[in-house]
Amino acid sequence: METMIKLKILADAAKYDVSCSSSGSSRANTPDGIGNAHLAGICHSWADDGRCISLLKILFTNECIYNCAYCVNKITSDVPRATFTPEEVAMLTISFYRRNYIEGLFLSSAVYKSPDYTMELMIGAVKLLRETHRFNGYIHMKGIPGANASLIKLAGLYVDRMSINIELPSNNSLQLLAPQKKKEHIVGSMGFLQSSITEAKENRKHFKKAPAFVPAGQTTQLIVGATPEPDLNILTLSENLYKRFEMKRVYYSGYIPAVEHPNLPSIFTTPPRLREHRLYQADWLLRFYHFRSSELLDDKNPNFDVNLDPKCDWALRHLESFPVEVNTAEYETLLRVPGIGVTSAKKILSARKVQSLTYEHLKKMRVVLKRAQYFITCKGKYYGKVDLNESLIRECITYENMCSSGHLATGEQLSIYTCMRQTPQNIS
Amino acid sequence: MVNYIYDSSFEGLLTAIYESYYSDKPPEHILPDRYVQQQLLCENIQIVTCEQKADKVYHAILKKISSYALRHTYYAFLSEKQDISTTLYHYLRLGFKVGKDIDRYLIDENVRCVHDISRKVGFERHRMLGLLRFRQVGTDNYYASFEPDYNITALIAPHFTKRLSDQNWIIHDMKRNIGAIYKKDTKAWIISDMMAYQPIHDISHEKMFQEMWKTYFNSIAIEAKQNAKLQRQFMPQRYWKHLIEKQ
Ligand code: SF4
Repeated sequence: METMIKLKILADAAKYDVSCSSSGSSRANTPDGIGNAHLAGICHSWADDGRCISLLKILFTNECIYNCAYCVNKITSDVPRATFTPEEVAMLTISFYRRNYIEGLFLSSAVYKSPDYTMELMIGAVKLLRETHRFNGYIHMKGIPGANASLIKLAGLYVDRMSINIELPSNNSLQLLAPQKKKEHIVGSMGFLQSSITEAKENRKHFKKAPAFVPAGQTTQLIVGATPEPDLNILTLSENLYKRFEMKRVYYSGYIPAVEHPNLPSIFTTPPRLREHRLYQADWLLRFYHFRSSELLDDKNPNFDVNLDPKCDWALRHLESFPVEVNTAEYETLLRVPGIGVTSAKKILSARKVQSLTYEHLKKMRVVLKRAQYFITCKGKYYGKVDLNESLIRECITYENMCSSGHLATGEQLSIYTCMRQTPQNIS
Repeated sequence: MVNYIYDSSFEGLLTAIYESYYSDKPPEHILPDRYVQQQLLCENIQIVTCEQKADKVYHAILKKISSYALRHTYYAFLSEKQDISTTLYHYLRLGFKVGKDIDRYLIDENVRCVHDISRKVGFERHRMLGLLRFRQVGTDNYYASFEPDYNITALIAPHFTKRLSDQNWIIHDMKRNIGAIYKKDTKAWIISDMMAYQPIHDISHEKMFQEMWKTYFNSIAIEAKQNAKLQRQFMPQRYWKHLIEKQ
């Protein structure tokens, strides 16, 4: 089969994988080599769905012996199949890299013959890249759950990042939809990766020449909306993954129905885009804003309000902590103000050292005040359009969100007319 | 009203700043010569670029203000915006007054303006690290053309020197007709005038790789999530001319 046809099939088969980032590694080029990794990551293009293309994201093969219900590549599915050779993967990666199309390679795979056999083929490709082509660009490789630990260990010496997917948010769902994948295998491989990463880091502290092992760390991915778990379960799971395995990222993939199955949402369900977005926002709050999942959701509110961002939702349920004074509030406190992110918080901290800040100053500094206005004071003065009252503020913000995006929570388009009709009476 | 006119080089701008401190006629505007129009009631003073004077200002910024301020100054300068030289003049004057705290004066219009423009230039630089496309024109030779909004060729060349160090390459800014030329033997690059540049033909299998890239580009998008608006927001249409996947 021609490489071009394989590329078409195996890129198409990899497109549902959401992790694509090329960040977290700072591998340097070698004197006679090609490539390096850019710590912050670089996007090289944006596909027609608006997603960033950073890596050559392909499956090694889509010939699978498993039968995960939600997957287009399952053994029972009728799709064109293809398998690369390690040489083809290496050739494509290098040729694309030399033309600056990509930042590196993201190599995933279906399970071909056995987990071990598949891992060996994938290792063949990355070994060729690193050793024969002296390639120093970014490589992210999927670990096949259930593969022998020695293979994971070997792969880790060549790649920058490795990921083993948790797939579904609960063991029940996993048993129901992907019975050949075992929770013990997934968690076992994650644990093994984590301890190997820690060990390699320790070694490198003592011996500069000790080999690097998965220097950009491990990530994982799970499918949202295929199974009934609420946001609370998903977020708590992520929190544990971050803590227990020092995950660099948990990726959420809103389920896009591609196959008909009695245990799955119907083919006509719209992908839960907004829910996916809210989960990413909440995940961000866990990682960078020091929130705990139990602060954001609880048994009474197990799901996010899709009309409001999670921070705003949280703040409205905790109005007793607001408003905060921008001239004196600590960094951590500022970060908890809806609409104020890391950049704005730092700007405020920096600017208030030379000048006490007014509301006008904030505007000039381009701090976005659409939401923040309800939660701050400047030199003691409150500038919110309505009083500090939960339902009033909730209404104002939801309304403005709808007007500016023209979207309802369902993703349905709003005409200007419907938007005007829904003007709440109490907006001053 | 007095205007200082300089030769459009960064050294020229720094020389103009130097002169402003020693002249009894401080400038109303500082302008690069490419933007000069003779105005009524305006006296234009031609600044003669002087390396020593420029050097003095350069080091004074580093020592008395900060390396950040120097970077902002250089990046903003590369925007080639019409009034940026005058804005930089006010920015640096404030800088010499308040020292390294300058970048905290976010409420000052000139500071904000310099930051904004410097950020835009930095943003385009970062964007181009990804969006630049090379084509193979010889065994070890690669060529990339682009038309950036700002004069960023010298800002992106170091990145490719590290990354693609084992191939010869040219990065050609078609808008300004300048280019960065890198030779793998010396591992060095220079900025050169490209007026006389004769285009070289792609090698024979170049087309095949471009087709592969397009195939990949089209296969990786999820049809159910089409979002042309988002795509254009990240990858503005004005850059498409040089993007293989968009042809
Ligand atoms: S293992 Fe499951 S999810 Fe992976 S390719 Fe095979 S069927 Fe699909």
